[in-house]
Amino acid sequence: MTHATDAYQKPVSEMDDELLPVPEHRLHGPGHFLGLYGAEHVAATEFVIGAAFVAMGASIYDILWGLLIGNALAAMSFWLITAPIAVKTRLSLYTYIEYYMGDLVSRVYNGANVLIFVAISAAMITVSATAVRVLFEIPPQTYPYPTNFYFAIIAASASVIAVVVAYFGFNVVAEFATICTPWLMAMFTAGGMVLIPSLNETLTGYTTLESFADFVNLAGTTVFTGINAEGEPGIGMLEVIGFAWAANTFAHFGLIDMALLRYARKSIYGLCTGTGMLFGHYVAWISAALMGAATASIMKLSIAVVSPGDVAYYALGATGFVIVIVAGWTTANPNLYRAGLAAQAVFPDVPRQKITLMVGAVVVVGSCFPFIYRSILPILAYAGLVLVPIGGIVFAEQHIFPRLGLKSNWRRLKGVKDNMPALITWAVCLVFGFGLNAIDIIPFVYLFLPTWALSIILYTILAKQAGAGECYPEAERREADFNRRVAEYHAELARKESHEHVKDRSALTKVIRVIYIGVGLLVPLVLAWRVLFKSPDLYDYYVNREMFYDVTIWCTLIYFVFAWWDLQRGKAVQRNAPGQPVASAGN
Amino acid sequence: MLSQTFRTVIVALALANAASAQTELTIATVSNPDMERMQRLSDIFAAQNPGIEFNWVTLDENTLRQQVTTDIATGSGRFDIVTIGTYEVPIWAERGWLSALDGMPAEYDVDDLLPSIRNSLSYEGTLFAAPFYGESAFTMYRTDLFEAAGLEMPDEPTWDFIRTAASTISKANSDVSGICLRGKPGWGENVALITTMANSYGARWLDEDWQPQFDTESWASAVNDYVSLVRDFGPPDAAQHGYTDLLALFQSGQCAIWIDATVAASSITDPETSDVADRVGFALAPDRGLGKRANWLWAWSLGISSGSEHQEEARRFVAWATSQAYTEIVAEEEGWLNAPPGTRASLYRNPDYLAAAPFADMVLASINAADPANPTVDVVPYTGIQYVAIPEFPSMATAVGSQIAKALSGDISTGEALENAQWVSDKVMERARFLRAD
Repeated sequence: MTHATDAYQKPVSEMDDELLPVPEHRLHGPGHFLGLYGAEHVAATEFVIGAAFVAMGASIYDILWGLLIGNALAAMSFWLITAPIAVKTRLSLYTYIEYYMGDLVSRVYNGANVLIFVAISAAMITVSATAVRVLFEIPPQTYPYPTNFYFAIIAASASVIAVVVAYFGFNVVAEFATICTPWLMAMFTAGGMVLIPSLNETLTGYTTLESFADFVNLAGTTVFTGINAEGEPGIGMLEVIGFAWAANTFAHFGLIDMALLRYARKSIYGLCTGTGMLFGHYVAWISAALMGAATASIMKLSIAVVSPGDVAYYALGATGFVIVIVAGWTTANPNLYRAGLAAQAVFPDVPRQKITLMVGAVVVVGSCFPFIYRSILPILAYAGLVLVPIGGIVFAEQHIFPRLGLKSNWRRLKGVKDNMPALITWAVCLVFGFGLNAIDIIPFVYLFLPTWALSIILYTILAKQAGAGECYPEAERREADFNRRVAEYHAELARKESHEHVKDRSALTKVIRVIYIGVGLLVPLVLAWRVLFKSPDLYDYYVNREMFYDVTIWCTLIYFVFAWWDLQRGKAVQRNAPGQPVASAGN
Repeated sequence: MLSQTFRTVIVALALANAASAQTELTIATVSNPDMERMQRLSDIFAAQNPGIEFNWVTLDENTLRQQVTTDIATGSGRFDIVTIGTYEVPIWAERGWLSALDGMPAEYDVDDLLPSIRNSLSYEGTLFAAPFYGESAFTMYRTDLFEAAGLEMPDEPTWDFIRTAASTISKANSDVSGICLRGKPGWGENVALITTMANSYGARWLDEDWQPQFDTESWASAVNDYVSLVRDFGPPDAAQHGYTDLLALFQSGQCAIWIDATVAASSITDPETSDVADRVGFALAPDRGLGKRANWLWAWSLGISSGSEHQEEARRFVAWATSQAYTEIVAEEEGWLNAPPGTRASLYRNPDYLAAAPFADMVLASINAADPANPTVDVVPYTGIQYVAIPEFPSMATAVGSQIAKALSGDISTGEALENAQWVSDKVMERARFLRAD
């Protein structure tokens, strides 16, 4: 990326849009964010995280209440921490760091992102490989490392294909991912419903549940037992709350989601994140755990080692393969792409192809090791811990500095190349956070809180010493002039660009939507409901389940064909509308 | 009986050595009287082995299976010793979850184990669990009713004779059911009985290619005969009766013939629990002249988790708890009738036991006649007599059992029940084949 100071010497109209604040006319209302976040947080990771809670020994009441509280805290964090800064600066975090902290911090930050995105990509490709291994009759991989040469070959091949697709076809997969979410939601819900009777039968001898109390009893006895895989008392409510809160730390306290929320008219739209989390981090986690427990029971395996491919197959039949591969790839794809971009920012002199291949090679090796995907929850929590100090630094600059009479953009005003106080703060906070982890005085999922607080205090002190409290009259005039030029440019853009989102109201579009919503989503849900509530014994259960399996794969095909068609028609309508293109948030 | 003082001294000596105790064995066990007795008597082992302490985890059968599976599959080593049945042993041994018991101490006398029990707890010729007690199935009948009807039960009855006898006694006694057979659906209930009956009719669950076989003539004959036998001469609401219900019916004098687990013998011959204790006779389970009888084989056994860090100590305890010496301790403490039956040939040579258990010879003959490696007339790719030792069997069998129970109740025909059984078995095996790949 270009050095910030150089970049702002150019005429504003020649600058990359990403380096400028979002113009007023491109902001969105709450409906946009409800939809956008409804589509977040439902991915292949949910298969693994649901099972992780079981292996860690959470009890049913801790899960029911702890996840609710933890997700509520996460939504409030988006509302009270991420959204106000995003709305105030209208910048993505990457641009903010480049702009406020300089090249060195940006490179180190991107370096950390490379590691995190590589781990997530590798984990998701392994998840896909667990489904593919079934097709090639390879035994389940129950150890942290690959125990079958052909599994390693499959995982590595899947990685190579994913890397190539991420490099050449990122946009197609990203577009495809946008239509996956409603289907993923429906399938996660249906999968849990389909396997509950089987699970219940192994415990009680009956396939039917009479009440919610029966469900709680079943889940509490067989799935969320309060005993971990080592047979000891498992994690409590405090940890469950922490995991739910920390699972997205890098997005809220770490401010990654400034990229999305910078388009929000008001910071209260941060609460819209709750839509995705309520489903993805509540219903989907609990459903995935139930599916995992039932599959483990059927296969006479432990839930700690049963693979997402097996779980999905028993829950959804042939559709299960599709869900694991689709969910895995659509999650891996953007993360691979981000890893590549971040790596490029770290090594700007290395050709893009070379750097992408280097990142891809690491992902290929990582994807062969099942322990990475089984450790996804701790990986996400530690990733949050690594990135949270940057969030604290930005928070200090935007909320604390103005109150103390310090300059948020002191580095640019002073004209120094790198924001050393930020770099030192980050380093100290990492030592502090991981030091706390080593001495184990608080659950690791809460380490981000003291680390975040320390980063705010330390950075404020160091920045003040470095000159954040001083006056830079000439630089401030230059800054004001730049902001004026940006405002003029945005006003000009607003006149040129259409503000209206053109809606496709044609009859054909309505028919297409009725088909993919009705046939693609509702029919499988109705059949799953039938499996859950209309299976008085195991034989009837099998009859209903087989019908669900047989029909759902066709519903899935219909869903994707018609949803893709709708997406393409919608794009065509937008392209043909006057005054286009319209920018979309977050893409 | 060992004197209380002597035991107290032994235990006290053991406690005195507790300071040097270095090994705690965690044992997962099912909650039944025999296992609870073993837990009580383990003080004696601890006294003889002062370096070893116990942590007992007693659970009901379903919870035990789930927790032990989780522990042992992850190799976390929570349980050193696990209580498992003959169904689990070959599956777990194949997966490498159990330690081979091929180095037991000489005094364990592995050759004393009954061959069929030993085979059922072995995988590829190696013993993977030590039997704690074993059982088969045989025919129990009311001698007084047979005598009154002018019938004589042969030691090796056929199904035809059983039908004739049930019919004759039913006609002569309106308050007694001619035959009692399990009707309650479940893989451990009606399926156990029907599977062994089908074995004796030449049927099998799966052929050499793992294809379900419910669409064969032998299955049709077996199920038709079972349904007509129980419907015509069995108790009312037969489809609701499982082992416990039938035991109560027999003890109260309402069954003339009962074909079920050999472990029931001590209960129906105990005057304190049975109204007909002195009027009970025993014979082998029936056959149909095809070389296989309708008797099964089951044993609760102790296995050592391959993840255990205390292999040697665990092996010592398993050897002790399943030894002849342990049997003698139980006999001394609680009488010979409570000695764990069905595992060792030496028990069936012991005159004290034979005197206390008049059914012992027939139990031994039943166990010896059971061959889990060759359970059927035709060759099969699986082991197990009343079950198929594959992970998918319990749910598949329970679904099949529900269909046969419906046929017994008259809700559907036997033809429809078998058609449905074939369909559900096909589906389960198809999915299992797809995923197993090992």
